[in-house]
Amino acid sequence: MATLGFYFNSNRCTGCKACQVACKDKWDLKPGVTWRRVVEYSGGNWVANTDGTYTQNVFAYYVSVACNHCENPLCLQVCPANAITKRDDGIVVINQDLCIGCRYCEWNCPYGAPQFDEEQGVMTKCNMCYDAVDAGESPSCVAACPQRALYFGDLDELRAEHGDLAGVAPLPEPDITQPALVITPHRNSAPVGSNAGMLANPEEI
Amino acid sequence: MELHEWALVIFTTVMQMAVGAFVLVGGIHLFAARRYTVETADKLSDRALIAIGPVVVLALLATFFHLGNPLNAPRAISNFGASWLSREIVLALVFTIGGAVFAFMQWRKIATPVVRNTIALVVAAVGLVLVYGMAAVYLIPIVPAWNTIVTPISFYITTFLLGALAIGAAYVVAYWRMRGNEKAEKETQFEIVAVTLRWIALLSIALLGLQFVLLPVYLASLTANTSPAAAESVRILFDQNGVLFVLRLLFIFLGAGVFSVFVYRTAATSGATIRILGSLVLGAFALVFVAEVIGRYLFYVSMVRVGI
Ligand code: SF4
Ligand code: SF4
Ligand code: SF4
Repeated sequence: MATLGFYFNSNRCTGCKACQVACKDKWDLKPGVTWRRVVEYSGGNWVANTDGTYTQNVFAYYVSVACNHCENPLCLQVCPANAITKRDDGIVVINQDLCIGCRYCEWNCPYGAPQFDEEQGVMTKCNMCYDAVDAGESPSCVAACPQRALYFGDLDELRAEHGDLAGVAPLPEPDITQPALVITPHRNSAPVGSNAGMLANPEEI
Repeated sequence: MELHEWALVIFTTVMQMAVGAFVLVGGIHLFAARRYTVETADKLSDRALIAIGPVVVLALLATFFHLGNPLNAPRAISNFGASWLSREIVLALVFTIGGAVFAFMQWRKIATPVVRNTIALVVAAVGLVLVYGMAAVYLIPIVPAWNTIVTPISFYITTFLLGALAIGAAYVVAYWRMRGNEKAEKETQFEIVAVTLRWIALLSIALLGLQFVLLPVYLASLTANTSPAAAESVRILFDQNGVLFVLRLLFIFLGAGVFSVFVYRTAATSGATIRILGSLVLGAFALVFVAEVIGRYLFYVSMVRVGI
């Protein structure tokens, strides 16, 4: 069976957060729980030219991330309750009925995907809208993007079409969990691990 | 830091203390039994042993506060095959139950000493593996502040430092409360306490030294790490919690260093009284306990993940 993944084109994203809101709406997420988040990364400064003048090299771009349904899902491996499983199509889901609420998966995911539901005392995260996917439809976030910056599909096909870049700053090194994610980087994008800029909207992540 | 994280501070610190105390009581007991008689050796160590029990049970109960969904708690051991968290819980349960069985047998003098000693040895071994298991839970690849050999080493230092001083304090209290004032017997027991305390003081000083070697090495490697997560951890430790950081060093230096030197010297003088010796040991234990709790608190707050 084909492994599913997300595709994100950073050049197209305007940071409107329609994906984020569509997800919150569909899954009725509580305040503080945001399965899909739009990260803003920015940097730059004034640089001195040889003739004594200054130019600025300020840049900013967005990356929309949810759970990446990783090929090496650390969340799943460390869960003491075996509450996290990976479906045949690669979708990683948490079964809340089995979760003990220890939050250990949260510590182990470099994408901040598992998010705790304080009220129920259990962990939640993006499930790739498996209900829609099973019905042959698109996940809500993908369907909502007005810029057509976000897609999902067969990971191999996405890679064949768009390359196999799976990380830009401020995302972590893809080697860690091997995310099922393909990114077309922004023209000004900084590589993973770069200190060229910083996360501009930490309170939203 | 929230309540559920305090639960982890208490659980890990107290559990390590209990493992150290259990292992050391065993060692001291063997030594005393060889030099005196088994009955003489039992007098103090039985009492000290029984003091460990309730503390461990409280530590285990604390972990329930950490769970969002305690009703599912029994499921926590499901992933023994892959998750160190499951393994830690299983080891903690085996250590606690095994320790309780041993303490009961020892108290009621069930079975022969050989059988009891064998059980104690197994429980002690499980305890030592448990300390590694606790550390392994925090060897998370995406947390640079934790993912270092320093984590297991410092957990073992806590184990023996706090365990040793707890035993010292327990022996003193047990001696204080000993009834049957037969003079010769009391003198022998005092001798055991004094010798034990000297060794405990030496061990504390050695572990303090190790701490002070380890700390700069740890901070240097964390500072050298280029990831923003590591830099943020350093910032949290120094800028945000600098006062606590210094207090912790001060307390541990006073407790495991200064007080221990006094314990060692006092225990060696012929005119030593249990009153002075006892106060010094209790003081050392209190200082080191506070230092270790602060240290563990800092350990948890220094957690910063790589990525977003
Ligand atoms: S992104 Fe995080 S939560 Fe999702 S599969 Fe990967 S490791 Fe697990
Ligand atoms: S919070 Fe739930 S899903 Fe996450 S590791 Fe703990 S038991 Fe597993
Ligand atoms: S796939 Fe569904 S659950 Fe996942 S981020 Fe998109 S809308 Fe949310």
